[in-house]
Amino acid sequence: MKPKRNPDVIWRHEQRREQQLLEAAERGEDISEGGTVILVVNGTMHQLNLLGGEIWRRCDGETELAAIVQEIGAEYEVAAEELEQDVREFLVDLQQRGWVTDA
Amino acid sequence: MREQNTLLSAPLTFNWTLSFRCNFSCSHCYSREEQVPELSLAELKQVVDILRQKQVPFINFGGGEPLIRPDLYDLAGYATAQGLNVSMNSNGWLLDAGAAEKVKAAGFKSVGISIDSAEAGLHDEFRCMPGSFDRATAALQHLASAGIRTTMSAVISRINFRQFRELLQLAREHEVKQVYLHNFKCSGRGFQNREELDLTPEEWKDFYREALEVKQETDDLSISFDDPVIASLPGYDADPLVKGSSCGKLSLHLRPNGDITPCGFIPLVVGNILRDDFDTLWNESPLLLKMRTKEAKGKCVGCGAYEDCLGGCTARAFAETGDFSEPDPHCWK
Repeated sequence: MKPKRNPDVIWRHEQRREQQLLEAAERGEDISEGGTVILVVNGTMHQLNLLGGEIWRRCDGETELAAIVQEIGAEYEVAAEELEQDVREFLVDLQQRGWVTDA
Repeated sequence: MREQNTLLSAPLTFNWTLSFRCNFSCSHCYSREEQVPELSLAELKQVVDILRQKQVPFINFGGGEPLIRPDLYDLAGYATAQGLNVSMNSNGWLLDAGAAEKVKAAGFKSVGISIDSAEAGLHDEFRCMPGSFDRATAALQHLASAGIRTTMSAVISRINFRQFRELLQLAREHEVKQVYLHNFKCSGRGFQNREELDLTPEEWKDFYREALEVKQETDDLSISFDDPVIASLPGYDADPLVKGSSCGKLSLHLRPNGDITPCGFIPLVVGNILRDDFDTLWNESPLLLKMRTKEAKGKCVGCGAYEDCLGGCTARAFAETGDFSEPDPHCWK
């Protein structure tokens, strides 16, 4: 699968927020609710957390799901097999919402 | 300080008043009495360049009447070419078939037409412009024929709060995809005419209860409100991107001379987009910091809804009391 973002979804990577969340994570705080990517879909705003944002930014229609898992795993030093299920579930959710397709 | 700590890198939307000039003279208008110099097209394009650099994704042209400026199409086309998503709100008077084609060519994503009553006479009277209802509905048809997504905006006031369902039906008849039921703001002429136009807090509560119910039952039309005072009511989206007023957090307003204000209804200038460093204004403006870090005052102290509404509409509180942190005068609690 090569997930591809729906071009009608307007989005922005919030790098400062991401940096703040990474610092909070280092302090041991729960950052699961913090948004790093903002999406605007038909006028409604949504935010993706750190992992969701990492996945979303790689949904360029060219990167295979396995490569997405590998890249994120390497960046956060997490075993690929641990991540794969989470990434798959997240992408299924995005597909159901119509925010990504399989290129 | 939560809101300031989670502040976005830039607004998502700039509501942009290109001119305070208008071909109408509405009873509730916030800007009718305003007069400031307007930027040239070259300067307006410089503003677009700044917005693109700051990754602001949305521009919404308002007014005054945006179509009063004939260079609107050039500017919108320039912004669209830079990757921005452009929309506008218009009274529709100048939107004939030819104009609709120009709107399409300029790349507008959507156009909102202001219609305050499904009853032509009432709309015309409120807008102080005979024939304006027919021109507004014709504009919706011209835009639809040109393939432009349309929205409809109504300012809720004493003249229409009991007939909002008729407005929704009117929207359906004209292929409108989204209806904005805007809350009445006591700014400009709206402040002068507030006794005649504004609802009581209890009436606002009843209106919103009913409108939120209708919104939940409606799936063929998107119904939007922009009023933080409803945060305590059933049916309200419990997880907005920011709480309280979104002005100064998700959006800013540009005046015709490039001055930035938190929103169109708060006439306090944060700085000028062409003269000042935007990041400094956005991150450090004392005015914006104050709006983002309101503290409960008066009846808001100890109120269970405060965490979600943050005192309601900052513009209304400011218009009535001169203090951002005072309770929203529309609050029924």
